[in-house]
Amino acid sequence: MLQAHSFLWHYLWLAPHLLQVVLAAMVWRRGLHKLFPIFFAYLVFEAIEEFTLYGLDVIPSVSPEMFWRAFCVGLIIEGFIKLGVIGELFFHLLQPWPVIAKVGSRLITGTGTALVLLATLAAALVVPDNTHWFISGSHILQQTFYIVECGLLVFLLSFAAYFKLAWDNCAFGIALGIGILSCEHLASWAVMANGGLLDRRQLLDFLNMATYHLCVLIWFYYLLIPQKSATKFAVLLPENNLDIWNRELERLLQQ
Amino acid sequence: MNLAIILVIAAVVALGIILRLAVTQRLQGKSSASLAGTIRPIDLAAFRNLISPSEDDYLRRRLPPAQFRAVRRERLRAMAAYVHVAGRNAAVLVRVGEAAMANGDPRIAEAAHQLVNDALLLRRNTTVALARIYLALAWPNSGFAAVRVVDRYQDVSSTAMLLGRLQNPAVPVRLSSLS
Repeated sequence: MLQAHSFLWHYLWLAPHLLQVVLAAMVWRRGLHKLFPIFFAYLVFEAIEEFTLYGLDVIPSVSPEMFWRAFCVGLIIEGFIKLGVIGELFFHLLQPWPVIAKVGSRLITGTGTALVLLATLAAALVVPDNTHWFISGSHILQQTFYIVECGLLVFLLSFAAYFKLAWDNCAFGIALGIGILSCEHLASWAVMANGGLLDRRQLLDFLNMATYHLCVLIWFYYLLIPQKSATKFAVLLPENNLDIWNRELERLLQQ
Repeated sequence: MNLAIILVIAAVVALGIILRLAVTQRLQGKSSASLAGTIRPIDLAAFRNLISPSEDDYLRRRLPPAQFRAVRRERLRAMAAYVHVAGRNAAVLVRVGEAAMANGDPRIAEAAHQLVNDALLLRRNTTVALARIYLALAWPNSGFAAVRVVDRYQDVSSTAMLLGRLQNPAVPVRLSSLS
């Protein structure tokens, strides 16, 4: 069951990307591609990339070197598109609030720079797991991209939580999906890049593909299931209760 | 392989943080009704007194250096408590404003937008002010003013009052002892 080229393997490689094509079409129909153009480009590119790689994998005349070269090129483009998606989410979150947009931009730039340095250091410490540079190189490249993506997403969600910024349902779903994907992929590509589970690599492939499937379903749910009209309570502000505050302050000063 | 273990642990922690924040975010939307009770009013007169440079100068002149540092640290701790509450209130007001923004009345929606804007600015200022207060705790002789936080808090208080009046004209709303 958990072997390469088993039915489950074919299903997990193809099904999420078929769903992704359907999702891209529905995103287009609902006009969401205008709101999230980079995410839309990601959906389309990822589907094309994976169908191409699947074809290269199953066609016997294609050499492993050619497959890995195509894989490398695809992951570089995909990595930059995903960073663009994170930027797009950040823009959506802060666009209505220019008062914190500047500080937010500075913080995410600083965080991104620190993460790139950290990822470069991690890449330098990796002992290549394969004699073919393009195989070990692509593993290291995956690890590098996922360190940056994972860190940026944690920052993005933490920033929103700290300022209690409300997420739009679609943006939240995209962030959640990419967040889960980045964390799981970081763990599995780090294991692969550092030579772990050499004889059971297919298990990591299954884990990666299953996680991707889950994330596509998350995007389906948040982007296409009609959002319940968020219950907006007319929160009435309280009257001043200075006595309580004074008691709290006294208690604090007496500590 | 050590690097892989570190990265796997980091990824698991990051996943935990992301899922926790996601759950909090979802629950946040459902608990808006109980928000109002979490606002804690601030006595701005006492706060202003606490951050007054002239008060600090007076204490510096009157007290021996060691005693002044001890008193100054106490005042900074009290100041931090005020700023912390102001920041917490700002976070609550962001959510109150966001909840009110969906209101059909354009006046209420506009006041709510203004409230969120002011509250975000206050939240940002309190974060910076807290960092500076904790820094000043290490060097009590250094000058530090949190006047901007107080002023901003008054602005937010005024906006909140406006929103409160628009939402319910019968109930007076005050988040501080000054208006």
